[in-house]
Amino acid sequence: MPARLRALIDRIAPMPGGPSLPVWPWTVRAFHWSLVLCVAVAAATGFLGGMSALSLHLAAGIAIPVLILLRIGVGLFGPGYARFDSFPPSPRAALEHLENIRGGRHERHLGHNPAGALMVYAMLAVLLLIVLTGTAALAGMFRQGPFRSFIGFDTGWLIYGLHQPLAWLLVAMIAAHLWGVWFESRRGHENLVAAMIHGRKAADPPAPPPPRRRAMPWLAAGSGIGAVGVLTLIVLRASAAPASGLPPAKLDHTYAEQCGSCHTPYSPVLAPASVWRQLMGDLRHHFGEDASLGDPALHQRILGYLLANSAEHADTLVSHMMMRRDPADPMRITATRFWQFMHGGIPARVFARKKVGGRSNCDACHRDAQSGRFLPENIEIPESAE
Amino acid sequence: MKLPIRLSVTLLLAGSLAAGAAAAATPDFAAARAAILAHYAAAAHKADPNFKAFSAAAGRSFFLAHPAGARPATPSCSYCHTTDPRNQGRTRAGKTILPMAISRTPSRFTKLSKVRLWFRRNCQSVYRRACTAQEKGNYITFMASQ
Repeated sequence: MPARLRALIDRIAPMPGGPSLPVWPWTVRAFHWSLVLCVAVAAATGFLGGMSALSLHLAAGIAIPVLILLRIGVGLFGPGYARFDSFPPSPRAALEHLENIRGGRHERHLGHNPAGALMVYAMLAVLLLIVLTGTAALAGMFRQGPFRSFIGFDTGWLIYGLHQPLAWLLVAMIAAHLWGVWFESRRGHENLVAAMIHGRKAADPPAPPPPRRRAMPWLAAGSGIGAVGVLTLIVLRASAAPASGLPPAKLDHTYAEQCGSCHTPYSPVLAPASVWRQLMGDLRHHFGEDASLGDPALHQRILGYLLANSAEHADTLVSHMMMRRDPADPMRITATRFWQFMHGGIPARVFARKKVGGRSNCDACHRDAQSGRFLPENIEIPESAE
Repeated sequence: MKLPIRLSVTLLLAGSLAAGAAAAATPDFAAARAAILAHYAAAAHKADPNFKAFSAAAGRSFFLAHPAGARPATPSCSYCHTTDPRNQGRTRAGKTILPMAISRTPSRFTKLSKVRLWFRRNCQSVYRRACTAQEKGNYITFMASQ
């Protein structure tokens, strides 16, 4: 490590004066700060980021269970204070610890104290629940991810209702965790944050020694990496499984040709059958223009295609939301509350860009508009103003 | 020595075929357009026995006019096609329209069913009525001059 970096770390995380003991191995420290980073990214993109930040949100959501699995390997087979059996989850011990604090009895723990240990397990459990509810939401809304073949919109939407409350619960737990670190640091006259950076704590005052079980580094690494590998295979396989309720991937050629000469050919999933019927019922007055086909057979064919693939026939976020029309203006996609909510943050000047071509030109920004999927990852807003 | 001869013959044949196809493409369009114009000329003559010929100038003012009864969304032909038919146009929904001028889009006005469809629709939108054969012929003649 370069001397200047070393000096910087020493300044941020000063070593305890006097003799010190190794407490946190590098695996625990790397896990802790990587998790901090991932949770920060997930929280920032989730609470503030909107749909365009979803890719980054998912990346953080994938990294978090990977980190936790690796930590479990270290927790089962790693060294000293990293091991789960050095800080068993015990509500009774945690209460006793709090009781001791209240009574002014100072008891030193080099590893996690019993209250902190309980918080560690609770935070990991809540994190995993957040990951699971997010994965279910992804399946329900976009028919993506490992649950895509067995979680539909209704279930996914219901579970999504838990995702954000759980995230707020985690925020509260993190606040409690930080308060605990601050409180214990002050009480014990030691810098616990610095200890999580350099890994050492002062040898005095004496504390119960670490568990004397031998670390098995290869087993720790192997079990963690193996578990990540197995999970990756399962997730990849499940994510490639066929999902029901998807709109037709490709538009009917005749429909796309006839309707696509004036406007982007909208996927039939973007309106319920009643709207398609009403719209096709008066093509002479089609959003202010005459769009009549002049060929009854062709008209019937296009109407049949639209009705057979309308919003009722798919099971995605877009299809469900597109069934909720504005009663005063049921024909217009841009009049739906969902459209307005999703596009509310986009300034009018973006729609005025020549390459965007207005609010009705979906595929200027949604590369997958014609498939009716409208996945957040396929959004690309043309930047140039001309 | 057999192969090169055969090869050169093949190449020669393919080359002349390609050249013929390229040369044939433009006259085909012109012939198809002439047939459509003849179709409208016959109709114009039937409507008005004094009909002589189509006028590009009349087609131009028809293209640029803002008829009083136009639908608000489509006040004139040039509203979507721009005032210069050699430019690309744009539909209200943001789709590009290839230039109407024959010099830019040689395939314009070469398929009667398509010509009929769009005259029917767009005359209703801009002029709120069917256009006359005279007006359609003028329009095509104007675009052919551009």
